[in-house]
Amino acid sequence: MATRLRGVVGFFGFIAIWQALASLGVVNSFLLPSPLVVAGAVIDLTVDGSLGRHVLASLERVFVGFLVAAAIGILLGLVTGWSRSTSDVLKPIVEALRPIPPIAWTPIAILWFGVGNAPSYFLVFIGAVFPVFVNTFTAVRGIDRSQINAALCLGAGPSLLLRDVLIPASLPIIFPGLRIGLGIGWMCVVAAELIAAESGLGYMIQQNRVLLQTPNVVAGMVTIGVIGFGMSALMGLFERRVIGWSQSTR
Amino acid sequence: MTAPGNGLQLKIEGVSKRYFVRRGQPPIQALERIDLTVRTGEFVSLLGPSGCGKSTLLNIVAGFQQPSEGRVLHNGEPIMRPDRRRTVVFQDYALFPWMTVQQNVEFGLKAQGMDPGSRAVIARDFIARVHLSGFEDRYPHEISGGMKQRASIARALVPNPDVVLMDEPFGALDAQTRVLLQEEVARLSADTGKTVVFVTHSIEEAVFLADRVVVMTTRPGRIRSQVEVKLPRPRVPEMRYDAWFIQTVQQLWQSLKPDWQERSDSDAKARH
Repeated sequence: MATRLRGVVGFFGFIAIWQALASLGVVNSFLLPSPLVVAGAVIDLTVDGSLGRHVLASLERVFVGFLVAAAIGILLGLVTGWSRSTSDVLKPIVEALRPIPPIAWTPIAILWFGVGNAPSYFLVFIGAVFPVFVNTFTAVRGIDRSQINAALCLGAGPSLLLRDVLIPASLPIIFPGLRIGLGIGWMCVVAAELIAAESGLGYMIQQNRVLLQTPNVVAGMVTIGVIGFGMSALMGLFERRVIGWSQSTR
Repeated sequence: MTAPGNGLQLKIEGVSKRYFVRRGQPPIQALERIDLTVRTGEFVSLLGPSGCGKSTLLNIVAGFQQPSEGRVLHNGEPIMRPDRRRTVVFQDYALFPWMTVQQNVEFGLKAQGMDPGSRAVIARDFIARVHLSGFEDRYPHEISGGMKQRASIARALVPNPDVVLMDEPFGALDAQTRVLLQEEVARLSADTGKTVVFVTHSIEEAVFLADRVVVMTTRPGRIRSQVEVKLPRPRVPEMRYDAWFIQTVQQLWQSLKPDWQERSDSDAKARH
């Protein structure tokens, strides 16, 4: 409880200092509008429906890209974690692609997919797939050998072994990978929309910068922050429900 | 009580196992030409200091590892891989922490494709036989080490295997729990008549439980001697005070002492 209270204190302290700096004229209110002005902008954008539209566009992109990344990352992680020969082939490729920041993929994504949803899907995928893959791989490699042996001597076939042993045993490590992947994916979608889209929060920020509407720019940034925070919290909630069994053993 | 039958259950023929630890270095000889037979319904203890290869031998019998030389026959067929006719009780329990006690115990039946209703009934029966009734819906992390090992024993018995392989099952338990579980295993093995191969480094445990104690020496792991235990089964606590029991334990200790000493000396050297 005290933790939550301190969190609230910190948050409102931050807002208060920001407001004070703006009100006292310490910072140029054009470059950094005060929280009240930003709040007003959020309300205006909500009322005219544009904020909701952009939020939905961004959310749709992040979910499509993330779902594909999660599916492929988990699948590849399971296969390479289990089969040493597959990992010998795939690991060097993954390790060479992984250091390329998603932003660096943007130009080629536009070349390949043009402007619209597709480059965003692709960039979210690129951002999210590696943490999911790496965590799944690590999880499968780290599974207690005697649990696998126990399943085998009890007569488990490949599908039961996968479904009832490998996947559940890996989930406590796969989940943080998914959470990190979703977070990176959310950053990537905004970055992609700054350049390669005609809707979404990134596009909205970019448009308002051109129109010199700083309050709307910051309003967009605040919305991104709040949604990212919310997604992380939801994932955490989901995680605790699914892998509650592992909490007290950590 | 089931007397050991005359049928041959396991036949270990000239089994050797070498491990290559590092390239360019000679391999470690974990087992050297082991010959051993286990009759149907017999309870055999593999006794030896740590590092004598007894767990390696058990893993080979389970089918988890292949021998470098030789072979192991189960009812006359060579063992190539693990299967449910030989289930294992592990020292670290190896329960599935994401499953309740009930789900863990049911696992072997689920693997056979049995419907949920029937397997629940069978599992509950075995949970009762290891005195865990009332803990069916607990997760492994919610119960004690002794209870985990009871659950693990039930899980190994449920698929009705020919052989139960126990790999130092009580090694991680406190002395009192250990004694209680020994008595439990004595009772269960007499009730079910299962063939049991039981790996331990406790002389008393080996003699108390087994029809035959197979004594192993350190690297390379070889069979040093075998002792028939003539005490009737089921074994009961009073037998620990039997003159023959006490004498046998002492004799085994005398004969094993040099090996144990050497082992702990080399362990100490390795640590420095």
